[in-house]
Amino acid sequence: MSSAAIVVDGISYAYDGRRAVDEVGFTVERGETLGFLGPNGAGKSTTIKMLTGRLRPQTGTITILDMPMPSQASKIQARMGVAFEEKNLYTNMTANENLVFFARLFGVSDLDTGGLLDRVDLADRGNDRVAEFSKGMKQRLMIARVLINMPDVLLLDEPTDGLDPVSSQSIRQVIQEEAERGAAILLTTHDMAEADKLSNRVAFINEGRVLVTDTPENLKLTYGNRSVRIRARSDGQIVETVIPLDEPGADERIRQAVAAHELLTIHTQEATLEDIFIHFAGRGLDA
Amino acid sequence: MIRIVWAIIRKDIAQMSRDRFFAYITILGLVVYVVLFWALPSTVDETLDLGVHGVGANLLAEQLGGEEGLDLAVFDTSDALERAVTDGELVAGVDFPDDFLPTIATGAQATVTVYVPADTTDDIRTAISGLVRELAYLVAGTTLPITAPAEDEVVLGPDRAGDQVPLKDKLRPLLAIFLLMMEMMSLASLIAQEIRSKTVTAVLVTPARTTDFLAAKTILGTALAFVEVAVLMAAIRAFGSSPTVLLTALLLGSFLVTGMALLAGSTGRDFIEILLLSVALIVPMMIPAGAAMFPGSAAPWIKVLPAYGMTQAIVRASAYGAGWAEAAPYLLTTLAWCVGVFALGVFMLKRKVETL
Repeated sequence: MSSAAIVVDGISYAYDGRRAVDEVGFTVERGETLGFLGPNGAGKSTTIKMLTGRLRPQTGTITILDMPMPSQASKIQARMGVAFEEKNLYTNMTANENLVFFARLFGVSDLDTGGLLDRVDLADRGNDRVAEFSKGMKQRLMIARVLINMPDVLLLDEPTDGLDPVSSQSIRQVIQEEAERGAAILLTTHDMAEADKLSNRVAFINEGRVLVTDTPENLKLTYGNRSVRIRARSDGQIVETVIPLDEPGADERIRQAVAAHELLTIHTQEATLEDIFIHFAGRGLDA
Repeated sequence: MIRIVWAIIRKDIAQMSRDRFFAYITILGLVVYVVLFWALPSTVDETLDLGVHGVGANLLAEQLGGEEGLDLAVFDTSDALERAVTDGELVAGVDFPDDFLPTIATGAQATVTVYVPADTTDDIRTAISGLVRELAYLVAGTTLPITAPAEDEVVLGPDRAGDQVPLKDKLRPLLAIFLLMMEMMSLASLIAQEIRSKTVTAVLVTPARTTDFLAAKTILGTALAFVEVAVLMAAIRAFGSSPTVLLTALLLGSFLVTGMALLAGSTGRDFIEILLLSVALIVPMMIPAGAAMFPGSAAPWIKVLPAYGMTQAIVRASAYGAGWAEAAPYLLTTLAWCVGVFALGVFMLKRKVETL
């Protein structure tokens, strides 16, 4: 038995000859959150479709919970939770009814709808129709739906996209709790800051190919430019100096800058995941 | 699989019951169809209302007054006769001129004026023409110039002489099709909504398979349509001596419209598109039902339409008590259509949901 809950090995998929996913490979361990980052059209959705069994890879293999996908799709899906970017809920049904319906599909007979809704701060809205919900409430209900079967694998597609800070925080909390419970989580997003906060590792995907996979910290240390930003007063003027730490003589330059003027503020500055993505892809996520 | 299919059916019932438009329209339709049926006359008037004026009119009334199927009225003036025809009180009016007898006594040809309504068909005019000739011979006191041949009548198929079916009994298939098509729209709308909102995608990443989704829609659609149309048929007393034949026809009809719903639901993106598609399907479905009300008016090509077999089976079973032997060809034709339409619907919908 592999320790990795998700093993993706060299999968490819082309639509009408155009390669959407090209030799993509990664693993997600139990209890790990892998941020799957890339711009629109990078191949994230096609990869998710293959992971959920809705598309069959044209090359390569997918193994989830030690079972091959899609040939064992039913067994895998029974232990998987998927949240889509679209709020695909039954809007003319109540939140409770939505959860009960999916519980029946999973064969969960002792569903605690109140407890689930409580986890996403919707405990008092169980009997309200989803049509009356805000975007954030719908997204939180989607997350509650994902948890119905206590999944071992979670595939979350842009779970906090466009949400208010309260809803985003509520969802992040659940994601962290599920990772601590031992679920393997694949988090698809183009929000680099969110990925940085939630992911143990991140994989950058662009034009159908995975560019790099590593921890955010390693990526920033390896590929980012660290610097020190010093603000000081000199002859009544405020002077700002940025000193790259990776350049030779950086220590001496910092000492001189601090000594020469009346020091106001001093900050270290490290690269963001966005910077790293640009380093690899040659463009930003919104480009 | 049964657990999952049942879960989807329960969810669909909840959703459909909350679709107020289709809920109202279905109930309203049922009530209107039943009221319409019972408001129509339940007898067939087979009497030929004929008016006569002029010389010999009283003689004709005397001689033919007791004839079955002929109601002869004598008019004092030509104007009164003409007015009665214009007002639709008579099928035709025959006006004998005052010089009718002297003219034919001399061997010359006399002219009898026959008034007929403008909408009289050619076959009725021909029949009236023959009748007028006979009346003229009666008035003249002579017999036909030939000896009438003996007739040996052979009835092909069930003899329905004296057992004419009122129009409302022939209306039943049309009412059934209206109701079935409404159910088709309701199911198609539900399917299109699932596709548009991509809730079907959420369902298909659980242990539910596409076949479960299709099975649930098929079972629910067929069952709902069948129950509703069976209730309608019971309310309009269609279950006569062949209830099993009628139920089979209704079941096949329900299955047929469910196949159409799968097709329309996979193609239409919103309510308006579903409506347009449904209208496109309703029209050819209604043609055989309309033709069943006026058998002589139907063109032969209507036999290839999907609803023809079902319509004939409903009329024959409900109005004439047709048994399995008589209804079998129509039921088999409907079954063939069911298989074809359902297979196409399943193919289209399966392809649609799997490529979302």
